[in-house]
Amino acid sequence: MQLIKKFQDANLILIGIALSLFIIGLVGLSSIAVHHEYLNKTSPFIKQSIFLLPGIILFFIMFYMPKPFYHKSAYWIYGFSILSVSIPFIGKTIAGTYRWLDFGFIGIQPSEYAKWIVVIVLARYLSDNNLNLKKMVTLIIPILLALIPATIVLRQPDLGSAIIILSPLIPMIYWSGVRPYFIFLLIAPLISILTAFHPLSFTVWGILMLVIFYISQPTLVSGVISYFSYLLLGLLSPWLWSLLNTYQQRRIITMFNPELDPLGSAYQVIQSQTAIGAGGFWGKGWGQGTQTHLKFLPVQESDFIISVLGEELGFGFLMILFILFAFLIYGIVQLAYESNDRFSSLVLIGIGTILFSHFFVNTAMAVGLTPVKGLPLPFISAGGSFLLSCFMMLGLIVNMGRNTFE
Amino acid sequence: MLKAENIIQLGQLRVVRGVLLFLFFILIARYFQIQILNHDIYHKKAEGNRIRAISLPAPRGLILDRDENILVDNYPTFILSAIPIEFNDKEKKIGLISDLMGISTDIMEINYSNYYRNKFLPVRLAKNLSFKQLSILEENKTSLGGTYYGKLPKRFYTDHLNGIHFLGYVGEINRKKINQLRDSHSYTIGDFIGWSGIEKYYEELLIGEKGIDFFEVNAIGEIVENLSDKTVQPVPGSNLKLSIHSKLQKSMEQLMKDNSGSVLISNAYTGEILSYVSSPDLSTKKLSGGTTQKDWEKIIADSDTPLLDRNTSGLYPPGSIFKLITLFPLLEENKIYSSWETNCGGTYSFGDRVFNCWKEGGHGTVNMENAVAQSCNIYFYQAVQSLTLEKWSGTCRNLGFGYKTEIDLPEEKTGLIPDRQYLNNKHGKWGWSRGAMLNLALGQGEILVTPIQLLQFANIVATNGKTNKLHFRLGNTSELLLSESYSDKTWRLIQKFIRSTITHSKGTGKLADPHIRDLYISGKTGTAQNPHGEPHAWFFGFGKYKEEILSVVVLIENGGHGGEVSAPIARQAFEIYFSDKIQAHLSHAIN
Repeated sequence: MQLIKKFQDANLILIGIALSLFIIGLVGLSSIAVHHEYLNKTSPFIKQSIFLLPGIILFFIMFYMPKPFYHKSAYWIYGFSILSVSIPFIGKTIAGTYRWLDFGFIGIQPSEYAKWIVVIVLARYLSDNNLNLKKMVTLIIPILLALIPATIVLRQPDLGSAIIILSPLIPMIYWSGVRPYFIFLLIAPLISILTAFHPLSFTVWGILMLVIFYISQPTLVSGVISYFSYLLLGLLSPWLWSLLNTYQQRRIITMFNPELDPLGSAYQVIQSQTAIGAGGFWGKGWGQGTQTHLKFLPVQESDFIISVLGEELGFGFLMILFILFAFLIYGIVQLAYESNDRFSSLVLIGIGTILFSHFFVNTAMAVGLTPVKGLPLPFISAGGSFLLSCFMMLGLIVNMGRNTFE
Repeated sequence: MLKAENIIQLGQLRVVRGVLLFLFFILIARYFQIQILNHDIYHKKAEGNRIRAISLPAPRGLILDRDENILVDNYPTFILSAIPIEFNDKEKKIGLISDLMGISTDIMEINYSNYYRNKFLPVRLAKNLSFKQLSILEENKTSLGGTYYGKLPKRFYTDHLNGIHFLGYVGEINRKKINQLRDSHSYTIGDFIGWSGIEKYYEELLIGEKGIDFFEVNAIGEIVENLSDKTVQPVPGSNLKLSIHSKLQKSMEQLMKDNSGSVLISNAYTGEILSYVSSPDLSTKKLSGGTTQKDWEKIIADSDTPLLDRNTSGLYPPGSIFKLITLFPLLEENKIYSSWETNCGGTYSFGDRVFNCWKEGGHGTVNMENAVAQSCNIYFYQAVQSLTLEKWSGTCRNLGFGYKTEIDLPEEKTGLIPDRQYLNNKHGKWGWSRGAMLNLALGQGEILVTPIQLLQFANIVATNGKTNKLHFRLGNTSELLLSESYSDKTWRLIQKFIRSTITHSKGTGKLADPHIRDLYISGKTGTAQNPHGEPHAWFFGFGKYKEEILSVVVLIENGGHGGEVSAPIARQAFEIYFSDKIQAHLSHAIN
């Protein structure tokens, strides 16, 4: 009875949106399946359908777990997750990466779960009453908490997941109520790096930083040190750049100019953009996409499923999809705002960020706004570990979104 | 700690909403730009965007004999296919291909409808293209947009060895078949699949993985470039090493050319099959492609049933070989001592019926050893009286009859071992009497066994029951477990008796012995009455040379007496196999 009562408290709208997204994903996957020759493997459509049941079970587990459990065991779960993202390094590489834990019948990607586990541990740390938000030093620990798993995942190598693990950091720190100046201190190095390759932008940025430091009035020493270290970071970035993998470099370069490398990673962007553009407002119709079915689109069942939907079902349909995502994210933020306790509020904002980052990077890369990152679309893309992780996040959201303690 | 108040400000919420709104706006604007504003540009681009993926079939794994000679190989053939969405003016193009290459339009139209999957995937138009046809195709590619040619590896049988009954053959998957396949995703119409024999049993191992070839084509579907750096090469299937002894197999096929029946030879300890002949058979050449529908119809209609694998699917009464079955429980439970003697006068009365010995006038006084060696019926009519039907049928089952041998072939029959329940069902509770036992003891009546079961039985007897399951694939050994074991004394006596069959001056199996030094042959003959004419001639036995035991089963359908017809074939098998061994030993000794 209690279980039913708890479920009545749940935000059914968010659950409904998530399930609609899942069904949209199946529509796309089934279209791919009709015309596809699967070379010695099962179609993603069937796989995806099979994952629904475990997804729902995991949703309920995450939902029925009492809130204090997450709060209490946050650090334990975190430790376990660090361990599990490190374990694949012991085993063999799968497709040249160390992303998978192979259990024979099923492969698990621990980094998918690390994403929201980092959110829980950050929320636990940032919701502490004794936290001194006036001091910049306070932020070192949360940064480390996110940076450690992100670094391990980056080494797998999985740049996309590493970025996703880092993405909730700044929104959560902001949400916890620190001075906006601190946020600036966190973001500034990134901007230094990005502008470093363009002398004019770098000069503008240098001046802008100076203005911000002047307005925010930090102590003289800390202000001067931060300012010059950020400048130095910008000057060093060309060297840091050389540390990246060639394929990562190439992906970033082609973001700015896809035509440079039409058969490399930009090939995917061009093809996907063409598919989406060719779809027009109404689309070519289900199962009719020539781009999709003549195999221009690589990884169309996961990273580029948006292109399949865009080509076959058109702009109108994509807008419905975007509105669904907007409602989902908006709803999560609203729950975070209305939440009574800080821990739940922070978890919600963190998970919201993860889902939004996935959505944004995926849809933006398909039209050439961001580099090709290989990030799947939540609830829609085929992919076992990620889909299950999405259902778990949904359980967590609905759980944290209830304004009751147990 | 959990109850730390949420201290979030409305301002923070507004900032977050603002950021989200901004990002959503950018995204929607970009999609609007691409899908609505620039739709025409991308639409044109998609039309001209032509890279085609054509799957590359993987060669099946080779099948080798025990000395790694290739038994089944592949050879490349060329096929012509077309992608329907690009193959506009289909009739015209098919007409042109027909004119250029001399392939009838009807065949291509039939192929087109048979192989059609959907408008995006290639359809096969013609097979077995010659190099000349390929070059004509290449010269005229501008007028044949949408067509592709590619390799299709086909099975090729290298040796003169037939072996179709164990090698099996592959067949092409058609529309009907593909729906029956459990995992149809791995296969498409036009692929080859193992249809029977080893090809079917080890399909998973032999099949390999397909690859993909990418082509860039222009607006009329003509290939501009093969994007070879994107090609995913097919992975050939794994090679399969069989235990077949090609020389032995070939000789046995020759010997059986004019007979119907089977010859089975194995290593008694390991269970490895060395020779597997079911006669009549088909030349594998007939299967190396090019078999027409008409040929097939002829083969299927042949009254000699060359497609039937007699070794695993032929059911026969075992005849006198089954007399040995009776001995197991008798000796094991000391129901009769091996020294017990009886007089064979040629006839035996049971109830109101008279049963005869095969030898008119009888064998005179016989003990157990003589009864086996000379295959005396009267002795066994009497001996079987001390067994129940349950005991007898249980012994048959324990020794592998009535079950599959689980040899690595897809089809196998279990045969028939009648027990009380079976006879009750068939004849009614009062419709049969213990007199049925007399027939069963002689391996006659309602017993049916397969030759392969008898080969397994030979291995069991030769090794005191410590053998492995029969198999073709080298290394695929697994122990054969008898649910009931027998004492050493039982094994020793039975082995002694079947040795006498060969050595005794009146032994029925005398002709099986090639008289090679250090080679000890044992065996039992069978002459199985059947309603189809002359009795079936059986020989069952093994030859022991040093540490090696070669087991042999020979069946000649309607051949007459086992000792006269089948035993000599077994002798040849022993001779061929062991003379090589001895040669090897000798040259080894000299060096």
